[in-house]
Amino acid sequence: MRRLRIVLAILLCKLARWGLRRLGRGGTNLPGKLAVRICPDLLGSLGRQVYTILVTGTNGKTTSSRMLEQCLENAAIPAFSNRSGANLLTGITAEFVANATWTGKMRFAHAIIECDEAAFRHTAPLLDAKIVLMTNVFRDQLDRYGEITHTLNSIRAGIEQSPHATVCINADCAMSVDMMAGLPNPVRYFGVETPFYGDKSAGVTEVTRCTACGRDYVYEYRTYGHLGNYHCPGCGYHRPNARIAVTKVLSQDIDESRIEVQIGDATHEATINLPGAYNIYNAAGVMAVADAMGLGFEVIGPALAEFRGGFGRMERFEVGGQTIRMILVKNPIGCSQVLHYLVEGQDPVLLIFSLNDKTADGTDVSWIWDVDAEVLGQMEDRLTAVYCAGTRADDLAVWLKYAGVDSERIHVEYDDDKLLEIVGNATVPVYIIPTYTAMLTLRDKLARKYGLGQFWE
Amino acid sequence: MELKICHIYPDLLNLYGDRGNIAVLAQRCRARGIDVSVHPLPLGERGDFSAYDLFFIGGGQDADQALLLDEIQQWRGGEIRAAIEDGKALLAICGGYQLLGHSYRTWDGKEMDCIGALDFYSVGDKTRMIGDYMFQWDEPSGGVKVVGFENHSAKTFLGSGVRPFGNVLAGYGNNGEDGTEGVRYHNVFGTYSHGPLLPKNPILADWLIRLALERKYGSAELAPLNDVLEERAHRYMVERLTKREA
Repeated sequence: MRRLRIVLAILLCKLARWGLRRLGRGGTNLPGKLAVRICPDLLGSLGRQVYTILVTGTNGKTTSSRMLEQCLENAAIPAFSNRSGANLLTGITAEFVANATWTGKMRFAHAIIECDEAAFRHTAPLLDAKIVLMTNVFRDQLDRYGEITHTLNSIRAGIEQSPHATVCINADCAMSVDMMAGLPNPVRYFGVETPFYGDKSAGVTEVTRCTACGRDYVYEYRTYGHLGNYHCPGCGYHRPNARIAVTKVLSQDIDESRIEVQIGDATHEATINLPGAYNIYNAAGVMAVADAMGLGFEVIGPALAEFRGGFGRMERFEVGGQTIRMILVKNPIGCSQVLHYLVEGQDPVLLIFSLNDKTADGTDVSWIWDVDAEVLGQMEDRLTAVYCAGTRADDLAVWLKYAGVDSERIHVEYDDDKLLEIVGNATVPVYIIPTYTAMLTLRDKLARKYGLGQFWE
Repeated sequence: MELKICHIYPDLLNLYGDRGNIAVLAQRCRARGIDVSVHPLPLGERGDFSAYDLFFIGGGQDADQALLLDEIQQWRGGEIRAAIEDGKALLAICGGYQLLGHSYRTWDGKEMDCIGALDFYSVGDKTRMIGDYMFQWDEPSGGVKVVGFENHSAKTFLGSGVRPFGNVLAGYGNNGEDGTEGVRYHNVFGTYSHGPLLPKNPILADWLIRLALERKYGSAELAPLNDVLEERAHRYMVERLTKREA
């Protein structure tokens, strides 16, 4: 009977996925829903056959997964991954089904699975991951999680149900480190031992307080947000030593970063094929995973230089001779990082923000006011125009005005087709900065109009 | 003219973009040549409350609020009460709003004393009241619709010593039961509205600035500003919420 349910669930899931694609739709959610309905622990019976590397945390899940994918490919370890970014129970189930035979045998021995923080506690017992990479914890989509404490509790519950996992933790994120207290899993710490922006630390940060004695942590330096080298002035509790430590940022430009990194006793130079400080953290986390798997730097080093970013994560297109870059933003800290990155440049730019307030974006858009938008004021004439789009375009316009952007340069555009024209006619490089569902729509429309690849490929 | 804004507990009560309110107050003063300054007063730091003209308290995480209650009981509660009775302008959002009442009872029955500056109490509930919302505020002539975003699990019930800030047009408000939203008392405005509140409700922002200046200088006239973007954003939400309720 159980066997029959499994086969039936797989059959319907595969059929639904095939059907939706024939209709030209991504179909990343419905097939999984069907499968879970028919056989609730389908993922369990498929998951048990596979060595799963699970990636969770607030920012950097997708990019880290892409880096890992390249790493395993270079190591000749066949693996599959939930590339489309469907990272809830249903989406992950659908991905496993797509990589299983009709009778429920997995075609790969390894999987790289990015998992939503809140969904982790539900997928963990089914997947029994061998490695968990927790990138960081920041405020994100508050109306869904209520509070950051809930997010931490949820991730902890997931790790409690992953007894066989080595956990890779960001040593610079006090909340992540504290969350592990009392858990028996082996831990690999990664971190950055050099401030990215000198003494400037960006914007609103979480208050981080010593779990042992309650005093506020003191920071020797911050890299960004609440990340940095902290210690408690009360009881002496401090940031753990990181086995994987970025010791120098050798250079950063619009396309890549070069870093010096220490893994155990050895020092290496690495090139990361994406710009931005946050991607240096992603690379460090991925190096921790590789290290935990016993893969040497000769494998992970070249992978970091070669991998391609996930869709919407600093993707680059060429349209009408201009470079269009799309950078997904989900929360204040990620968005602040993107704006700091833009301000560092030299050339004139055209910006398009697109803010949606659908469930997957977070229905509370107030987070934009926690972004360091004031830095946009420093761009002055380099900022040729800013377009505000999405369901909450008007909120963006007010936000930009109070951030000090000249009102003359702020334009509200609800019509996506007109937005595409603006992209097509641009005379300077364009940066599109959308929230999740806005990114899906814009990317799809750009693809149709200018012939770029579809996202689920 | 000079306006000193005090941001109480910016280190703990800083959720949901509430700092946007401060940015809006400050910038609307500057645009009119009012010499404005913002003074953060974090946990444990002492300040002379009589030196400030306008106070702001935001919302925070439940865990942080419990920690805060201890300190606020000890000494700052008295200063806030005195400032309120002295007619100082104060805007309190969500958790900051709840702190001004008599008490807060958690959903599992734990009773916590608040500063008792205003006549109301709050009771925690298991379900959260979340979403865009709107209420009618009748003080300005003709009345104004205020738009915002609420996200609270506590229900607040007003006593006879205070009046509501407004009447709910869409969403839950104080408790989802009696149709009231927020609290008004002297120059105090308490509300559940994040969003943040002031960027899309410029009339309210100016109302607060004017009250603070009138208290200080006896009278104040605020020159009108170009609010095209703010009014558009306000209108968009009013229309959307009106449609939602229809």
